Amino acid sequence: MQRVALSIPSQVRFERVVRASAGEIAQACGFSPERIADVQLAVSEAVTNAIEHGNGARADLLVEVVFVLDNNTLEIRIADQGNGTGTVDWHRRVVEAHNLDNEQLRGFGMHLIQALVDDCEIESSANGTVLTLRLHREEDLS
Amino acid sequence: MSDVIKREEVGEVVVLHITTPSVDAVSAVAIELACSEMRPITVIDFADVSFINSAGISALLKFVVSARRAGYQLFAMNVSPHHQKIFKMVEMSRFMPLIEAHDLPAFRR
Repeated sequence: MQRVALSIPSQVRFERVVRASAGEIAQACGFSPERIADVQLAVSEAVTNAIEHGNGARADLLVEVVFVLDNNTLEIRIADQGNGTGTVDWHRRVVEAHNLDNEQLRGFGMHLIQALVDDCEIESSANGTVLTLRLHREEDLS
Repeated sequence: MSDVIKREEVGEVVVLHITTPSVDAVSAVAIELACSEMRPITVIDFADVSFINSAGISALLKFVVSARRAGYQLFAMNVSPHHQKIFKMVEMSRFMPLIEAHDLPAFRR
């Protein structure tokens, strides 16, 4: 098992640091270029949520990200230090005309995460929220 | 003009070349500023873009909203296969269809 841990202040510019690390780690794990792009996007969405919604973009609160490669599965845990989330909307969300007319232009993140990873789960309490993503290497899915 | 958009105009067609590789929460505000640069036919060029997340999609949707309100046509060009997949996931292409770079001269006539 190999483990990489990062901790960033809750500022969106640091999401790029985690995203770049996710790309390097996924590449080192032997993921294909398309799968690396999926990992980076899923991690980006999760970290952005943790920064903006979990920690309320408070720079004094941290987002902790742990990458664990175990056998053929890359597990990524993204934890914030907020007060916990309410219900999470995992429903498929797409661009629709009435949302455009109302300028409701956000809210695609959780849908994208769910579509891009093999498995995800969320645990939330008054001490924060942990989102866990899992992706398997393609050659082991046969 | 935004420092992450390079503008190229020929007649009623404007091409907005996104020059930042990352269309995300950091670059979103600067990208959105280019909405005011739209013309009756607007093409957004993604040739230099290597990453788009949902914050970036939200910025791009501002162009869609502006185009719908003004009755303009909006297209996307040089979208990578990965980003085509993401656009399909959120059904973005219904509102910002893809064109090929070699189709551009036809729009400029």
